[in-house]
Amino acid sequence: MEALRNALDFSDFPRIDLIVAGVVATFLVAFPLTPHSSFAMATMIQFLMFSLYGMGWNTIGGYGGQVDLGKAQYLGIGAFTTAVMLIRWDIPFWVSMPIGVALAVAWSFIIGYPLFRLTGHYFAIATIATSLVLKDIFEVWDFVGAARGLEISPIKYSPPDFLRLIFKEDIYYYYIILGFFFLGILYVNWFRKSRLGFQLRAIKDNEAVAQSLGINVHWAKIKTYAIATAFVSLVGSFHACYIKNIEPEDTMSLDLSILIALMAMLGGAGSLWGPIIGAGVLIPLKSYLKEWLGAKAGLVGMDLILYSLIIMVVSAAEPRGIWGIVEKIRRRKQA
Amino acid sequence: MDILVSSLAAGILIGMVLALMALGLTIIFGVMDIVNFAHGEFLMIGMYAGLLTAQATGMDPLLTLPFAAAVGFLLGIICYFGFVKFLLRGPMVAQLLGTFGLMLFLRNVALLVFGSEDRGLHHGILVGKSFDVGMGVIIPATKLAAAVLSVLAFCVVWMLMKRSKIGKALTATALDGQGARYMGIATERMNALAWGVGGGSVTVAGALLVNFWSVNPFVGLLFTMIAFAIVALGGFGSVPGAFFAGLVVGIITEIPGIWDFFTYTFNIEWMANVPMTSLKYMWVYLAYFVIMVVRPRGLFGWKH
Repeated sequence: MEALRNALDFSDFPRIDLIVAGVVATFLVAFPLTPHSSFAMATMIQFLMFSLYGMGWNTIGGYGGQVDLGKAQYLGIGAFTTAVMLIRWDIPFWVSMPIGVALAVAWSFIIGYPLFRLTGHYFAIATIATSLVLKDIFEVWDFVGAARGLEISPIKYSPPDFLRLIFKEDIYYYYIILGFFFLGILYVNWFRKSRLGFQLRAIKDNEAVAQSLGINVHWAKIKTYAIATAFVSLVGSFHACYIKNIEPEDTMSLDLSILIALMAMLGGAGSLWGPIIGAGVLIPLKSYLKEWLGAKAGLVGMDLILYSLIIMVVSAAEPRGIWGIVEKIRRRKQA
Repeated sequence: MDILVSSLAAGILIGMVLALMALGLTIIFGVMDIVNFAHGEFLMIGMYAGLLTAQATGMDPLLTLPFAAAVGFLLGIICYFGFVKFLLRGPMVAQLLGTFGLMLFLRNVALLVFGSEDRGLHHGILVGKSFDVGMGVIIPATKLAAAVLSVLAFCVVWMLMKRSKIGKALTATALDGQGARYMGIATERMNALAWGVGGGSVTVAGALLVNFWSVNPFVGLLFTMIAFAIVALGGFGSVPGAFFAGLVVGIITEIPGIWDFFTYTFNIEWMANVPMTSLKYMWVYLAYFVIMVVRPRGLFGWKH
């Protein structure tokens, strides 16, 4: 009960935040009812998925300050668990998703235990290395379709299939991921006020002091890493049902891991709204740039050049992201 | 037996080039504690620099090295003053993502300029020639020349770091930046120099590598990860460490050959079924992970 009250309690935010959040939430719920293109719909679903990835990353990377650049491996575990179980044994999403999360969390404990002996750069690069090892294994593993990947063919099922999440219209996917999105916000809202959340911020500020206060630093990091993993793996399972065609190259690549971290950083790591703002800016930008520039002949990679310039400018000029700018303005007003 | 020996020989030869490549990363890391994700992209640019000058002038590819070094030096300096300088004020996550942005930028500019197809070199006095060392081991002349020149370049950079005044200033900055500033060393200029020397040595490695390795705009990431593994094994910031670790990692990339040797010598059936060539680079990533966990300082490291 206590936990539920904490999760639903947003009263420590300024009123303007809550008003904006309320408007955005209303828009998100109402969006499919307004006239929209199917491209806009796909972008919105991507936005919600990446917000959830970002929220997961934010627990360990934002509140905990541990820069994790290997999140895509858990996305792959979730996606492949769901796809393999559906194709081989016809196990529905709602069963395979928790199994995928359990597998991903188990894997995160196995590699998290040695990983968290490292700090800083060393930790960040080691997470990349583990992610690439797993991707290479998946690319030669026949059971999960090797480099060709797996394809869920929707013909075999009769959509709309709510158990297996096979739909013809995107609107069903939209509302399901929107539900997860709101649950994710409530969870993170609880998390940041939980014992673990406070421990983690203490670790971020000063690890030695946190340890001297009796916090088990290593264990707190591993636990939070598992939470972040659960988020990513869950959405990974959804990704398998939504995209239907998954390959190691586009579910586990380094670019994806970086994109997840980048969104949280762009929005403002270590704040509740940060990853959502980051995804809200970056995902539409990325997909519309691709739509306008990427398809034109002679401009191959132009969208990615602009995208990389944005990354460079943000990281050089305002590394605390959009939320950092907002807070700076607020502080100036108060003073 | 011949598979084993030729795998080891090939590993050691490629390892010497890889060591030169990792030298740039270890200098940059040692001097200013920043991990450069764009390192592999510098190598890619060095490969294109060597390839295009050799094709445009008809020179032997091995003579394009000074040009490649100049390109890398300038590129490093430009990157430092134009971008990296501003990253240093920010937190670590901004540095990581910033250099990742630089990597994406260089890669896609290369894609726009050079196109996505594989390009290789097919001319030069050494192409097609090889030495038969005996025991069935054949060493291509281009690989041997690249390895020898790499060691030479490595020694030049090392001597500069050890003996010259400016190299000593660079080492002092690496050991203690603040102390160096008190002694009147312009650390800002040393940082730029580290990027210049780092960029120059990696583009030379690229120009050597292109003699036997075809290039496309996407080769960078693989070499970035290999360079990370070498630097981790040798110890972040250690120059002699980079050399020995380069040899070790070179041999690790030849694990498929060694695997084949054991498979056929002892006739082990399950070993033959493992798709080892596809897993070639997994061993490098795995080695990085294991090294970091078991011995974070690396073999010769002094920083952690």
